[in-house]
Amino acid sequence: MNRPLSDSDPRSRSVLGRRSLLLGAAALGGATIMGAPRMTTAASLPQDDVRALNVLLLVEYTQVAFYTEALRRGALGSGLLRYARQVASQEAEHLRFLKRLLTRKADPKPDFDFGEATGRPDTFVVAATKIEDLAVGAYNGAGSNVSPEVLAEAAKIVSVEARHAAWIRSIVDELPAPDATDEALSADEVLERLSRLGVRR
Amino acid sequence: MSPACRVARARPVAAQAGVGAAVGLAAVLLWPVLESSPRQKVLPPPAASVLDVPPPERLGRDHHVSVWSTVRRPARARSAPESGAPVVARVEDRTPEGTDNTLLILDRTHDARGRVWVRARLPALPSGSTGWLPRAAIGGYRLVRTHLVVDLDRRSATLLRNGHPVVRAHVGVGQPRWPTPRGRFYIRNKLVRYRSSFYGPLAFGTSARSRVLTDWPGGGFVGIHGTDRPDLIPGQISHGCIRMRNHDITRLGGLMPVGTPLTIR
Amino acid sequence: MDRSYFDRLDVDGALAESLQRTGLSRAAFLAAALGGSTALLGGLTTEAAGAQGDDLPSNDVFILNYALVLEYLQAAFYTEAERMGALRDKTARAAQVVGSVERAHVEAFKEVLGRKAVKRPTFDFQGATENPKAFLKTAVAFEDLAVAAYKGQATRIKSKPALMAALAIHSVEARHAAWMRYLFGVNPARSAFDQPQSRPEVTRVVRSTNFITGPPSTKAERSPRYMG
Repeated sequence: MNRPLSDSDPRSRSVLGRRSLLLGAAALGGATIMGAPRMTTAASLPQDDVRALNVLLLVEYTQVAFYTEALRRGALGSGLLRYARQVASQEAEHLRFLKRLLTRKADPKPDFDFGEATGRPDTFVVAATKIEDLAVGAYNGAGSNVSPEVLAEAAKIVSVEARHAAWIRSIVDELPAPDATDEALSADEVLERLSRLGVRR
Repeated sequence: MSPACRVARARPVAAQAGVGAAVGLAAVLLWPVLESSPRQKVLPPPAASVLDVPPPERLGRDHHVSVWSTVRRPARARSAPESGAPVVARVEDRTPEGTDNTLLILDRTHDARGRVWVRARLPALPSGSTGWLPRAAIGGYRLVRTHLVVDLDRRSATLLRNGHPVVRAHVGVGQPRWPTPRGRFYIRNKLVRYRSSFYGPLAFGTSARSRVLTDWPGGGFVGIHGTDRPDLIPGQISHGCIRMRNHDITRLGGLMPVGTPLTIR
Repeated sequence: MDRSYFDRLDVDGALAESLQRTGLSRAAFLAAALGGSTALLGGLTTEAAGAQGDDLPSNDVFILNYALVLEYLQAAFYTEAERMGALRDKTARAAQVVGSVERAHVEAFKEVLGRKAVKRPTFDFQGATENPKAFLKTAVAFEDLAVAAYKGQATRIKSKPALMAALAIHSVEARHAAWMRYLFGVNPARSAFDQPQSRPEVTRVVRSTNFITGPPSTKAERSPRYMG
């Protein structure tokens, strides 16, 4: 469906030529065939990487739980439903990746109390926007604390979180990206915002 | 004491109001249960960015902007933005002086196939001619905020920048039998470092052409240039060109970019 | 900043063609285009004062300049689109907002790099700013490219402040990418993991657009043949 163009395909030579623009953008945007990043085992991860990754793991647990619950409660329609289905599956891929990376050093899944946020479209949008923005801030914040290998993989995820954040704003006609930079949150700030979103342990 | 608890105690819940207070209080109460795992010690806060990004600013209203471009390949300018429309003029990619040919771009549209056409002021007769060209025939857009206005009756030239006069000069214009054409034109190129005191230290080529001297070598284009006869300025003295005292043309040289629209009235 | 970096941005020989007409040596032209400081071609200069760029490793200066070129490209694209007035409604609004952000990025990079900042290239967007559909296709491609480009440099940046700067902008470009994709009617987030692109690959793509051109040649050292 969305295979990257081979180098011998003339369209791949001028990616921004008019006719091939979309395909070219697709090839650059990350073909699904490439899947999840490969990583070293948790045993070789430095301590700071483990700590930082566990904060990000918490974020991904939260995202998966949030979207799963929202889908189960069935209050979403059309654009929001399409969004939630795709994002749920992408966050699940992120979660799988982080768990595989951390193996036995992964923290356990917390409990959640999302309240009405998963039960109504309007509150869903507010919470989803916060969660995706939080994910962006969390990954950016981890940037200076992780080793280059982990950074490379985290970078592949944070831009997808940012896409999610812009997407949901687009659905409800809000400016998808009004700011010139995104924040980088400390672990403490991430944890605090998670708790405000309903994450319990 | 874990850093999580420390943070919770540092936050003054009383400072928040209403729902915020309830949420804040809940966060404080629940905070101790959402501790980072015992294995986690303090992670350093994120490093500061080297960039200081200013607040994004909207483009200002730009009433004095003109757009010009170069001709990439010889092309036919047409009376309408369609391949079959009558040809108004052929445009070359070079001027007689060997510079890139330039056009003032006035307007644009796109056809049903999405091909962009632009309407340009042409260096052709009759004065002020415009024509439509395929976007592919021209190059990148350049902006200017200047405008040169030449008044033949007053023998004066005024350079405006953002609508404000920045250079005023007396000029010599065409004699009655070789009148400087009136109309809307633009500055096409600039010639420098030649040895000819007749033309002064520098000369600007324009898109304006003489209606009478059509056989002039180089096409009979109106130039704006210096002079070795400043005593004749102001006056009707030339074959059509606009002459300035050398001091004035030098000033103009530093302030008027190629592409500047030129109005001769 | 080595010459080969600029060479790779020289699209379809437009630069070489320009050089022939102006008669300047390539080195002189590059020096002029890169801000007049020949030190840029050879490496670090110690004379630049005031810019934080002084404290950055030359590796990071190089990478920030690479980012600056991409920001110049985007800023020019959106700015021109807004000026040309061919867009409507939400697409026009997106061009306004994203353009203002990319311009702010340009200012930020220029400020931190100071005299080491590369000069703004000249562009020819060949109608991509003048037709709503072409605009969106190009915007999607630019933003996806910027995301991949920043991502490709993340692990090559040596100093943490430069890394944090890159990350803070990289995710914003991803928001832009999703925004433009949404407007164009395609999936804002096609994959759970976005892939990096190397600098040679990004440069190849930028070159293939032919959007970066040499400056026009409108000055000549010739005797006038005007009517006088």
